[in-house]
Amino acid sequence: MNFSLLFSDELRGFYKSKVMMFLWVGLPVVAVLVGFLPSNTPEVPLTAISAIVVSSLAGTLASVMLAVSIINERSKNVYQLFLIRPIKRRDILFAKLLAIYVCVIIASLIAVMVGIAGDYLITGMIPEAVFTSTVETLVISFSMLAVSSTVGVLIGVAAPSVLVGSILVIYGGNQISVITVMPTLLNLGNSIPITVGLAITIAFALLAVALKLFDRKQF
Amino acid sequence: MTASDNPKDALIVLNSVTKNYGNFTALDSVSFEINKGEVFGYIGPNGAGKTTTIKILVGLITNFKGDVKICGYQMPQHKHEIHKFLGYLPQNVAFQDWQTVDNALKTFGLLSGLEKNKVEKRIDEVLDFLSLSYFKKTKVSQLSGGMAQKVGLAQAMLHSPKLLVLDEPMGGLDPASRKQFKKLISSLAKEGTTILFSSHILSDVQDVATKIGILNRGKIKKIGTVDELKTSIWKEKIVEIVLSAAGKIPKWTKISGIKSIEQPSPEKILIYLNKDIDDDIVVNAFVEQLLKSGNRIHSLNPLMPTLDDVYQSYVSEVGN
Repeated sequence: MNFSLLFSDELRGFYKSKVMMFLWVGLPVVAVLVGFLPSNTPEVPLTAISAIVVSSLAGTLASVMLAVSIINERSKNVYQLFLIRPIKRRDILFAKLLAIYVCVIIASLIAVMVGIAGDYLITGMIPEAVFTSTVETLVISFSMLAVSSTVGVLIGVAAPSVLVGSILVIYGGNQISVITVMPTLLNLGNSIPITVGLAITIAFALLAVALKLFDRKQF
Repeated sequence: MTASDNPKDALIVLNSVTKNYGNFTALDSVSFEINKGEVFGYIGPNGAGKTTTIKILVGLITNFKGDVKICGYQMPQHKHEIHKFLGYLPQNVAFQDWQTVDNALKTFGLLSGLEKNKVEKRIDEVLDFLSLSYFKKTKVSQLSGGMAQKVGLAQAMLHSPKLLVLDEPMGGLDPASRKQFKKLISSLAKEGTTILFSSHILSDVQDVATKIGILNRGKIKKIGTVDELKTSIWKEKIVEIVLSAAGKIPKWTKISGIKSIEQPSPEKILIYLNKDIDDDIVVNAFVEQLLKSGNRIHSLNPLMPTLDDVYQSYVSEVGN
């Protein structure tokens, strides 16, 4: 009950926030704009461009949002009022992680759907190959997103300030999440299940470290 | 281990609590007890260790030496049990930026165990009690420091806790709000809530505390009621007499029990009494002589040390 309450509270906080407003509207707009940029390469479907934009931006945004939010609330002693109530410490972090993960996934899906709608309006059809590759890109993106998000939580718990946290997330978070793409880059056959499995393993490992640190923190 | 329901039992027991930050000792073998229904004022200079004690009591600091029991439950091992009947207002209360007052209170109320169908009604009651109803839908981030402090108190008392721990609750409040706050503490104590609060404002502590603990440099210097603390530093009994018409001062050496007399101005007489005598008899005898000598008395007051004197005495004692 406590977790669902914390989760719905965090969700309410994020979906109304200015950052999420940018994501809801900004991510699809960026995808469409990139699609219409003049380029020398053969015409790439808007759907694929949306998926690429999502995969390159979503992870960074989620990890920065998580790290900044946790560091801010930690430094302002917001957690004191939660920690003196009969709740588990891990629920506070889980709720925040899941809320941002869900919000960013929804924003990503909106961006891709805008791409699909754009392609359909322009060509009147969506080639199956484009659709399949978009789904694959999204699965990889969401796997990377899971890793980036947990990096955001870990840095949020450990970093001393918003500035240090942001720098660490931007330079470290994305690099770690790239590990999940290695099976695809190395052409390891059906790489999607390996990518998902790798992402889940890394995300849980990072989360376990973050929770351990958070549990030991003295407020 | 279970919580005892005996009203005479100590609700809070601290036994030899020590907390070190590296080489710095923030608390050094702090021991005290607070009984059910008491209002305990915790005073001491900045950096004395008041907030550290409070954070240990509410379970925010868990790595310390010593023994802390609240209502029979060990802290921090049974903190979830303790948190069910504990309300806490931190020194600098902060909420998540996006929360409105009612939404923040709803979350904290539910997390503290209030039932879903009762929480809204209870929020209205508490906001009304604290004169905050007007701000119910306001974002907490838009409130002034004093108002946020009041919302902080609202979240602390929302689930009608048996124990309220308030860290500098009157720090950011204007005089009117402070008065209201003191009334509130008194009325909660009358309802049976045990309250521990820290403060720098000694007059506020004196107004509401039934027991006071003085902490300095991590050590408890003295614990007792206001009168007990005053008596502890009271080295001599002094009575001040103010005259409206001054005449001749009678020969006081003939009255046994008077150590000395001072007359700092023609209208004012200070009588220093021996400690082990009946003040009434001696003062009456002196007043009789005074009136016979043509004096007229405007007022007569025993001079007691103030809480400020007590505080200075115990705090400077360590400093020296």
